[in-house]
Amino acid sequence: MAQEIDENLLRNIIRDVIAETQTGDTPISFKDDAPAASSATTATAAPVNGDGPEPEKPVDWFKHVGVAKPGYSRDEVVIAVAPAFAEVMDHNLTGISHKEILRQMVAGIEEEGLKARVVKVYRTSDVSFCGAEGDHLSGSGIAIAIQSKGTTIIHQKDQEPLSNLELFPQAPVLDGDTYRAIGKNAAEYAKGMSPSPVPTVNDQMARVQYQALSALMHIKETKQVVMGKPAEQIEVNFN
Amino acid sequence: MSEIDDLVAKIVQQIGGTEAADQTTATPTSTATQTQHAALSKQDYPLYSKHPELVHSPSGKALNDITLDNVLNDDIKANDLRITPDTLRMQGEVANDAGRDAVQRNFQRASELTSIPDDRLLEMYNALRPYRSTKAELLAISAELKDKYHAPVNAGWFAEAADYYESRKKLKGDN
Amino acid sequence: MKRQKRFEELEKRPIHLDGFVKEWPEEGFVAMMGPNDPKPSIKIENGKVTEMDSKPAADFDLIDLYIAKYGIKLENAEKVMAMDSTKIANMLCDPNVSRKDIIDITTAMTPAKAEEVISKLNFAEMIMATQKMRPRRTPATQCHVTNIRDNPVQIAADAADAALRGFPEQETTTAVARYAPLNAISIMVGAQTGRPGVITQCSVEEAEELSLGMRGFTGYAETISVYGTDKVFTDGDDTPWSKGFLASCYASRGLKMRFTSGSGSEVMMGYTEGKSMLYLESRCIFITKASGVQGLQNGGVSCIGIPGSVPSGIRSVLGENLLCMMLDLECASANDQAFSHSDMRRTERLLGQFIAGTDYISSGYSSTPNYDNTFAGSNTDGLDYDDYYVMERDLAINGGIHPVDEQTIIKARNKAARALQAVFEDLGLPKITDEEVEAATYANTSKDMPERNMVEDMKAAQDLMDRGITGVDIVKALFNHGFKDVAQAVLDLQKQKVCGDFLQTSAIFDSKWHVISAVNDANDYQGPGTGYRLEEDTEEWERIKNLPFAIDPQNMQL
Repeated sequence: MAQEIDENLLRNIIRDVIAETQTGDTPISFKDDAPAASSATTATAAPVNGDGPEPEKPVDWFKHVGVAKPGYSRDEVVIAVAPAFAEVMDHNLTGISHKEILRQMVAGIEEEGLKARVVKVYRTSDVSFCGAEGDHLSGSGIAIAIQSKGTTIIHQKDQEPLSNLELFPQAPVLDGDTYRAIGKNAAEYAKGMSPSPVPTVNDQMARVQYQALSALMHIKETKQVVMGKPAEQIEVNFN
Repeated sequence: MSEIDDLVAKIVQQIGGTEAADQTTATPTSTATQTQHAALSKQDYPLYSKHPELVHSPSGKALNDITLDNVLNDDIKANDLRITPDTLRMQGEVANDAGRDAVQRNFQRASELTSIPDDRLLEMYNALRPYRSTKAELLAISAELKDKYHAPVNAGWFAEAADYYESRKKLKGDN
Repeated sequence: MKRQKRFEELEKRPIHLDGFVKEWPEEGFVAMMGPNDPKPSIKIENGKVTEMDSKPAADFDLIDLYIAKYGIKLENAEKVMAMDSTKIANMLCDPNVSRKDIIDITTAMTPAKAEEVISKLNFAEMIMATQKMRPRRTPATQCHVTNIRDNPVQIAADAADAALRGFPEQETTTAVARYAPLNAISIMVGAQTGRPGVITQCSVEEAEELSLGMRGFTGYAETISVYGTDKVFTDGDDTPWSKGFLASCYASRGLKMRFTSGSGSEVMMGYTEGKSMLYLESRCIFITKASGVQGLQNGGVSCIGIPGSVPSGIRSVLGENLLCMMLDLECASANDQAFSHSDMRRTERLLGQFIAGTDYISSGYSSTPNYDNTFAGSNTDGLDYDDYYVMERDLAINGGIHPVDEQTIIKARNKAARALQAVFEDLGLPKITDEEVEAATYANTSKDMPERNMVEDMKAAQDLMDRGITGVDIVKALFNHGFKDVAQAVLDLQKQKVCGDFLQTSAIFDSKWHVISAVNDANDYQGPGTGYRLEEDTEEWERIKNLPFAIDPQNMQL
């Protein structure tokens, strides 16, 4: 069921990333010995762009408003998104749009009466280090970091970068409700509470199915990394 | 206490063992007999069954004194259940005889670290991770390793890292 | 296009759910000998390396610097680098050339030369070479013991169960990181109840993992990751120098440890510098050697889907295991990650290491059904036991485990759950009820367990660390509640840390705490009639032969 969507997504991304020339649904010709249409699907292993980042495509719901500054308000949770988020890629591994993910997460935080502040990280595409950059900006010391492929982490300021409060490494099993619950839990940590960890489904075949695709998305994200560039403050508008 | 014991043992070992008697708190680990044996070989392995008499706890308890009864009556404490520089040296000799000199070098570095308290050791490790420390901070740990813990090889390790982290941009603020 | 019906049927087969990618060398999607891999070379002036694998010393990154300084035996290097790679490959699978003679050569190579040697071998030759190059004579395997609720009682019962089946090493991790101390204690108590001599670990963040070991909650560590490019190493939050120091920290506390690497990790983390997976993995293996660490877990490991997606990838993964053993390192050869939707293909994945035998054929056979595996599933799980036993019996291969009868398992699970119940009570941890003990005794997965209050457990875990509880407190707790034999086993484990025998290469223990390592059980394979032979290991062969569900024709009721 979900299968077909995923296959299309896989195709789109591979095409995107490696400039594959995909053939349409061309009827097979029985007339001559010319190579069959399908042979044109052979991937040409040439990268679209060099090693530099590609330009961001501005989207109206996701506005940059300058360099992100450290917050002092204890009632905020920072959501740190990775460099390709929303403006280079626009959905996660399973096709949930970045806008929907953020909408759910912000709603989860606001349900707990706290404020969400979104920042975009450029120094790294690693989810843990995005988290570490986010929690240093966060007034409460709590940050959620999220990669374009959907991998998410809740991180606290005094933890080692690669440790975490909660980690959601299996992006394929996360749905809208899970993203909302992650926002809610992060807000509860910020209030000094000890919430029960967000329950996740353990789908051991998800990694098998998505690992290669996940790598392709991460490669694309990593191309957007700019060494030394500070995080930017983002204004989100879901209306 | 075991840190102090280890430190004493270490110093005694460096002095050469002959002056052990001068140490009022000297422990059985530092007796001359143990510091003067010939290098062990593969044939001496495992120490557990072939040479239990050569193995001691940091406070000098014999390996065979580590019994359930002694744990229950508190003669053996958590601090006794640790490896000593002497034992690491012997295991290094065994490794070397088995053709693994790299393993022996690791055990040599390890033997210098036994006397460093757990928390401080973890801090030192974290300081050596990328973008954590300035060059001066790494060199300060190097000096501490050398002067306070008599760990010259590890002191060199930190000094070497400080140099390379500077040229290869892994110091605090380089990211 | 009008669809051909057989093609349509084929597309429904499970293999079509696996991910396959065409080669893309610029981003590292190539198994070995990629077009951008460097040409092997070395230049040495005044005892220092001035050029390695076509790169001058001035351009060395931290990894190059580290390998050049600590990872290569320079005395022999120029001679070895001038040898023909095909000839070295030939020596690897020639049974008449001894393991030692090979190691004198391989430890004097550069990473690119080592990759070139491996590339000369086909899959069957790799199996032959692995059989000879494995450091420990007796093969073994390792398991995972986890569940998705981090239920400690179930961990203890499953650990005892797995210990009886023959796993000499067991690894747990957490679904929620803050559970770590409880999981570490549960697997240790459970494993020592099942069979004394099993060593256990808890895979968490590097500094925390060391801290668990220092307290006596674990016996060894394995997930100390190294990577093949500088940027990925940095994203892994370490440098070669910090990892080398960490290795010495472990040894200084008498704890066994090995590093972890595996092809595909640099692709997953987005920085391959356009190099092939095997070349980058070769660098990881040399970093391990340079650190003086006794062993390595490698072979794709958790990134197996990446080498598995490209041509020759699974061959290359056996090649990286072999390369690890060629450098005289203990090899825990992966097979520890859910790999394929196809049963045929996941058997293919296991085949090389299984037939050749490695120090740990799997570095994480899931002892529970994959449903409960918090390492995101393994290639083989608790529901594959009987298939695996039959493979061992059919081929007369010691794959590291053996059948155990149901009654024995039930008793051990129950005792382990009660022992942990006692420890929790004595240490003032949240109560384990008799109902939980009963459930864990008979449970298949955590669905069969009553819910625990996870928030309370996590608070207790933190409190336990704050109170400075150690292995000694666990020994006392077990003794105080009548588990004298388990108390003795937990103490014996701590005693081994004082003695250090298991810091040597490829070390495991039997049930009497006799160490079995590459020092006193060195692999001496030199062709037929030599090396490990299952028929000569009569006790183990009997266990494997006596499949509980085989018909006994001499006592059959017809």
